Amino acid sequence: MAAADRLPEVIRKAVARAAPDAEIRVAAASDLGADGRYGERWLVLAGDRVLVLAPDGAEATTRVDLPLKDISEVVVDNLVGGGMLQAVVGGYKLDLLSYTNALSERFGRVRGQLDAAAKDKPIPDQPERQRRCPMCGLVLGVETKVCPRCVRKGAVLRRLLQYARPYRASLVLVGALMLAAAGFGLAPPYLTKILVDRVLIPRAEAHLLVWLVAGLAGSSVLSTIMGIWRGRVAAWVGGRVSFDIRARLYERLQWLSLRFFDQHPTGALISRLTQDSGGVQDFLAFGLPWIASNAIGVIGVAAAVFVINWRLALLALIPAPLVSLLSRALWRRMHRAFHSFWYRWGRFHTLINDAFSRIKIVRAFAQQPAEIERFRLRNADLLGASVYAEQTWATLMPLVGMLIASGSWLVWYFGGLMIVGSRGPTVGDLMAFLAYLAMLYGPLNGLTQSAQWMSRALTAAERIFEVLDAEADSEKARGHVVPETIRGEVEFRNVVFGYEKHQPVLKGLSFKVAPGQMLGLVGKSGAGKSTIINLLCRFYDADEGEVLIDGVSLRDLDLSFYRARLGVVLQEPFLFNGTIAENIAYGRPDATREEIMAAAKVANAHDFIVNKPDGYDEQVGERGGKLSAGEKQRLCIARAILHDPAVLILDEATANVDLETEDQIQQAVARLIEGRTTFAIAHRLSTLRNAHNLLVLEEGKLAEFGTHDELEEKKGVYYRLLDIHRKTSMIKAVSR
Amino acid sequence: MDNQQPVPSVQPGEPPTLRYLDPEQVRVFRSEDGRLRATIADELSILAPRFLRVQPLTDPDRYISIREADPNGKEAGLLRRWRSLAPESRELVGIELDRRYLYPTVRRILSVRNFWGLVQCVFETDRGVREVTLRDVHDNVIYLGEARVLLTDAEGNRYDIPDVAALDPDSRAQLARII
Repeated sequence: MAAADRLPEVIRKAVARAAPDAEIRVAAASDLGADGRYGERWLVLAGDRVLVLAPDGAEATTRVDLPLKDISEVVVDNLVGGGMLQAVVGGYKLDLLSYTNALSERFGRVRGQLDAAAKDKPIPDQPERQRRCPMCGLVLGVETKVCPRCVRKGAVLRRLLQYARPYRASLVLVGALMLAAAGFGLAPPYLTKILVDRVLIPRAEAHLLVWLVAGLAGSSVLSTIMGIWRGRVAAWVGGRVSFDIRARLYERLQWLSLRFFDQHPTGALISRLTQDSGGVQDFLAFGLPWIASNAIGVIGVAAAVFVINWRLALLALIPAPLVSLLSRALWRRMHRAFHSFWYRWGRFHTLINDAFSRIKIVRAFAQQPAEIERFRLRNADLLGASVYAEQTWATLMPLVGMLIASGSWLVWYFGGLMIVGSRGPTVGDLMAFLAYLAMLYGPLNGLTQSAQWMSRALTAAERIFEVLDAEADSEKARGHVVPETIRGEVEFRNVVFGYEKHQPVLKGLSFKVAPGQMLGLVGKSGAGKSTIINLLCRFYDADEGEVLIDGVSLRDLDLSFYRARLGVVLQEPFLFNGTIAENIAYGRPDATREEIMAAAKVANAHDFIVNKPDGYDEQVGERGGKLSAGEKQRLCIARAILHDPAVLILDEATANVDLETEDQIQQAVARLIEGRTTFAIAHRLSTLRNAHNLLVLEEGKLAEFGTHDELEEKKGVYYRLLDIHRKTSMIKAVSR
Repeated sequence: MDNQQPVPSVQPGEPPTLRYLDPEQVRVFRSEDGRLRATIADELSILAPRFLRVQPLTDPDRYISIREADPNGKEAGLLRRWRSLAPESRELVGIELDRRYLYPTVRRILSVRNFWGLVQCVFETDRGVREVTLRDVHDNVIYLGEARVLLTDAEGNRYDIPDVAALDPDSRAQLARII
C-alpha cells in the first residue's frame, strides 16, 4: 500500500523491528512531539499493531505499541489549538498522539481508518486534500488550489488573451495606435534640437520657426489624439473581456454542485466575482496597454538617445540601476507606511460603525465615557500612523524625484564639456537628449513595478479559471431520464452520506413512502433530518446506496424536470427583494395574477396582502424584512401551492407567532400537503399525528418507523422524544 | 392545539450556584492502572476528569473548571488558583492543561515575508520554531487590550504575543510590517 512509501527510513526500520514482516496499512506524521513542542511523531498501523514512533536521531523511540484487537474504538479529543488521537481500550481512552490544527483534517481521516481497522472493516482509502502547494509547500487558502508563487504566468496570460480573441481587430488597432503615439511622442525633442541648432543659436533661418513650432504642436496634438483613441478602445476591449469572464463565471457558479459551495466560503466566491474579475479587468483595460506602451516608449526613447550620442547615452545610464534599486526600496517603505495607515483607518472605521450600531445599548448602560475613551485611543493611533505615512511621503517623494533626475547631472556635465570642447554634440543634441532622458526614467520605473502588478492579476485570473474548470462537479451534466409525470413514490435504499466523506451523517438508511402520503421526520438535532431533505432535493448525491423517485434513481432523473415537481417550504422563509407577487410566482414566473391570488387565498395570505397599501405589488424588502414572521411563512406556502409539486418538503416553522396566526398557518399547511408526497420535519404534535408514518432517526440510522399511535404504544425512542416535547410545549404555552 | 392540559405553575426553584473548591479538598492522582482520577473531599470521585481554563486568554491560571470526562458532563467545581494544589495533584493538573491548550507564545519574530496577500513568518515560540503562513491578516488578528495580539494562521493555529512592547526591537519592526 502507498502508506508505506512516505515513511522515512528511520521509522521504517523501527516498524520493521517492532513488527517484523507486517504490512504497513496506515501511516501519518504529526507535528507535535511528546513534550508538546513542535516535532515529529509517526502513527503507523503495521499488521495488527498500532505504533507511535518518534524519530530520535538515527533511531526511533516507540512511544505506543498496542495490539489492534485491544482497541474497541478510535476517537479524537478536540483540544484547544489542536487535537489528540485516542484509542479506547477497555473503556478507557488512551492518548496516541497529538497534533496542531494544521493536521486536524489528516487525523480526522486517520481516525476513520484506524476505527475501521479496529472494527474489522475495510480501511477507507481517502486521498488527503492538498492544503499546501505541491510545488513549493506554501499553505494555500481553504478555498483555492492556486498558489500565487507557482502559478504558471505564461500559460495563464495566454488563456486570458484567448478571451480577447473575438476582439482581435480592436487589439490590432490598439497596437497600431500605441506605436503611432510613441512615434509622435518622439518627435518634439528632435524638433527642439533643430530649433536650437539651426535657429536659436545661429540666430538665423527664422522662416523655419513657424514650421518647427507647427511640427511641435502637430506631433503633440496627434500623439494626444492617438493616446485618447487607444485608451478608449483598450477600455472597451478590457471591459468586454471581463464582462465575458464574469458571465461565464456566474453561469458556472449557478450550476455547480452544493458540495463545491460547502468547500468554498460564499465570501470567497463573491470576491472571485467582484474583486478577481475586477482585477483582471483593470489589468486588461489599463495595466497591459500601459505596460506595452511604456515598453514601446522605452525602446523608442532608448534608440533615440543612442542615435543622438551613444557616449552620452551610456553615461546617462550609469546611475540607472542604482536609481531603480533605491527608488524601489523607497517605494516599499512608503507602501508599508501607507499600508499601516490604511489598516488603522479600517480599524477606526470598524470602531465607529460598531459604536453607532449599538448606540442604544451604549445609552442604556450609560457607557458614553468609556466609548469616548475607546474612540480617543483609536483616534490617537490613527493620528500617529497618518502623520508617519504623510511625513514619509513628504520625505521620500522628493528623494525619488531627485534620484530620477540624477542621470541628467552627468549628462549636463559631460555633455557640457563635450560641447565646450567642440567635440561632437551640439547644444540642440544636448537639449533633445535631456528631454528624451526625462521621458525614459518614468516608464522605466513603472516597468519595474509591473511585474508585481502582473502577478496579482494573473493570480486573480487563475482563481477564476479554477472555478471555470470545476467541470466534473456540474449539476448540468447529470441525469437524462424525463418521465411523463411524477407520482411521488420515494424510496431511500441503503443510503450512506456525509458532508465530509469521512464523517457519515446517514449510515445505511432504507425506507419507502407511497405517493400522496406524508412522512414525519423525527429525531434530535443532528440526527440527519435535514440531510434526508438535502438528498431528496438532490443538493447532494448519496455516497452509497440510492434515492429513488417512482423507481428511478435520482442520479438518472433529469434534474430540472425533477426540481420543477419538487416543492420546498423551509423553516427560514426564503424571500428575495421584490414584490409579493414576484415572490409567490418565483417557481412559476408565467403564472397569471389570478393564479397567484388563488394560491395566496388557499395559503390564508390573500387577506393580509390586500390590506397592504400596495397589495400584491408591495415590496417585501430585503429577505422579506418588511413582513412579519407569520406573513413570510404564508407567502412561502402560497409559493409552494402555486408551484403544485408532486413531492413536498416541509420544514415546519416554529417562529414566534400569535395563536391566531398559528392556526391560519396550520390550516394553510394542511391544504398544501393534501394529496402530495410530503416529507415534514415536524415540530408540532399535530403534524406528527396527521402524518401517515413517522421516521424516527437516531444518529443517522432508522430507529423506529410507524404511525404516531403505534410508536407511542411502543414506548421507545419516539415516546421519550414526545415526552420532552410535551413538557417544552407546556412551557412555551406558559411563556406566551 | 396540543396544549389542552391545565397551565402548570412553574416554580423558579433554588437558583444554581457555582461551587468553588478548596485546594486542600482536591486530590488528583493516577490510580494503580494508570488512569487519571480526581477526588473532592470524600464525596466525589471522577474518572478521567477534564480540567478546563475558564479564561484561557486573559488570565489562564485563574479559575480551572474540573469536569466529568463526558463533554456534556457536569462541573464538579472551580479552582481559583490551581497552583495551590498539593504537589502531586499540581503536577498532574499542569500536565493536563499543557496537553489541552496548544497555544504557542511567540518570543521572537525571526522573519516576515510579504507576497501577494500572503505573509510568511518564522516565529520562535515556547514550543519551538515554526514557519507560519498568514492569510487575510487583518481578519485574523485579535487585539486584547492595547499590547496583546493573537494571530491565527491559514491553518487555524493561533499564536499569542502577550506584550508587543516587550518584544525585541527587531521583532517589533517585523511585526509592524504585518499589522
